[in-house]
Amino acid sequence: MDILSLAIKDIMRRKGKSIYMLIAVVMPVAILSTIISTISNADTSLSNLASKFGFTIMIQPKSISTDRIDQLGVVVDEYISEASIISVKEIIMRILQTDKDPIIMAPRLYIKTEINSKNSRTTSILAGIDFKAELDARPSWNLIEGRWPERDYEAVAGRALARVLKLSSGDYVTINNKGFNIVGIFKEHNSPEDHMVFAFLGTAQQIFGKKGLVSVINLQNVSLDRDERLLRLTIEELNRGIPNIKALSPQQFSTMKYIMLKKTFKFLISIVIATVIISIFSIFNIVTSSLYSRVREIGLLKSAGASWSQLFKLFLYEYLIIGLAGGMVGYSIGILMTYLLDSFLLKIGSGIRINIMLFVVTLFIGILCSLLSSFYPTYKLSKIKITETFRTQWEV
Amino acid sequence: MNRDIVIERPLLELKSVTKIFNTDAGDVVALQDVSLTLSKGELIALVGPSGSGKTTLLNIMGALDRPTRGEVWLEDIRIDVLSEQQLVNFRREKFSFVFQDARPLRMLNVLENTLLPFNFFKPRNNSKNIKEEAIKIIKSLGLEHRVYHMPNQLSGGENQRVAIARALITKPSMILADEPTANLDRENRLFVIKTFRRLTEEKGITVVVSTHDLEIANFADRIAYLKDGVLLNINPRIVHPPIILR
Repeated sequence: MDILSLAIKDIMRRKGKSIYMLIAVVMPVAILSTIISTISNADTSLSNLASKFGFTIMIQPKSISTDRIDQLGVVVDEYISEASIISVKEIIMRILQTDKDPIIMAPRLYIKTEINSKNSRTTSILAGIDFKAELDARPSWNLIEGRWPERDYEAVAGRALARVLKLSSGDYVTINNKGFNIVGIFKEHNSPEDHMVFAFLGTAQQIFGKKGLVSVINLQNVSLDRDERLLRLTIEELNRGIPNIKALSPQQFSTMKYIMLKKTFKFLISIVIATVIISIFSIFNIVTSSLYSRVREIGLLKSAGASWSQLFKLFLYEYLIIGLAGGMVGYSIGILMTYLLDSFLLKIGSGIRINIMLFVVTLFIGILCSLLSSFYPTYKLSKIKITETFRTQWEV
Repeated sequence: MNRDIVIERPLLELKSVTKIFNTDAGDVVALQDVSLTLSKGELIALVGPSGSGKTTLLNIMGALDRPTRGEVWLEDIRIDVLSEQQLVNFRREKFSFVFQDARPLRMLNVLENTLLPFNFFKPRNNSKNIKEEAIKIIKSLGLEHRVYHMPNQLSGGENQRVAIARALITKPSMILADEPTANLDRENRLFVIKTFRRLTEEKGITVVVSTHDLEIANFADRIAYLKDGVLLNINPRIVHPPIILR
């Protein structure tokens, strides 16, 4: 047997205190893991989303407060006039100086609403869209069953939403007291659209009294896609020429979201730092009380020939193992929390993603918390004289 | 009873040892000008009332503490001036300790507790049969049926025997036992002291036992009486006839 085996046996014997300390390590690590995983997943999903849009320019209301962005990442309760489409087209044609290159304009109206099926109900987004324009711009859009809507009050549902409402093509849902036939189910894209239901724009405008209003206008043009300078110029012209709109490329959209995410991230990281500090103090208290109750054992080990450095090593091994275990458990809990948050709250559609770098960081944080908080009491108690261990009442 | 007075070269020698503890209430003189010599294979009992300095004297003898004044020699080495690391190495080689309340480590069984010192240093002569040797010692202490038992399965007396087994495994020159029989019943007290007696005679180990119990002290070759840190009296060494155990 060696010092490491002794340390393992000691941890096993003090299960209660070891678990107590493990929890103190797990807490900050799990919070850190959850936050970083969620932010990272959101970021990846945003990038995927931007690339899946297949649009060159996105036009949305000029001033959007963060509370107007739904958890699915779409703008709700802020609108632009549908008439802007004409102005947008004019500006682009003036810049391109040709009408041969088609400009696909795909306006959308997003309404957050309750959707009721025969078996269930949920709150999600009804997207009123121009199916022809969307399909022209996005050939990757596919259905796993049914067909595309052909008339009013026909709709297609995202795969995740269909799962929640137990829908299949041919089913019936009510939205704002109006009945819709679900004629198709989307193929899962791992994007917020998986949680939406899509109907004709005019129908959505009519049943929610939003005639002439849209939430966003997506635009696709091959020439602008190919020429970044021209794209920048177009965006500048659109923003200058049309009041109350903000034109941006999906890349810019992603960047804007990313900045928002980073700001949130900084705030959340400060919570993690605070948790780490609190945990370090908790572990310090646990270690101190645990070591002081082990003073006689320290005396025994010293009288059996252990030097202070061997004792120090023995205790550090114990706390290293607990830190390592705390890091692993914390990471796993973090991943699970991320999945649950995503499934029930955020609905980013990111699933479970294993991040090796984050795993290494969480292990490091676990070990750091454990060692940092135990170093001083361990060092002090290792240095205690044998005579003091048997002379004084140390038990706490 | 045939008792001869034998003068031998001292194993351990204390020369005018004084120990003063600095406390909040002022200086406390724990030992005052104590001189004492111990020979190989001798059993010495330190007796005296509580606070008389028995434990302090034992600690200084075992290089667990340093005297404020005076010298401590083990064979030809003055040990009170050695560095901490030198003392650790010195203690590993020469001394073993048995304390009143030094219960074995709860996470180790009897055999593992006996072999505990070798978690921290290698056995002398790198003995390959150290496990067999440990089992032999455990058996010699009447614990043959307890080799793989955990300390919580043992009685107080059996746990103290484990402490003695641990003390013996390193083959020390000296065993220093601080009230080793204090919490034991008479049967176990006698077992412990007779074991020490036997070790001095069979293995030539010097044993110093501090005790309040005169029945235990009477097994010693010499009895050192301490009061208020002063060594009042020490009997000459008397060689006992061999004691047959059990």
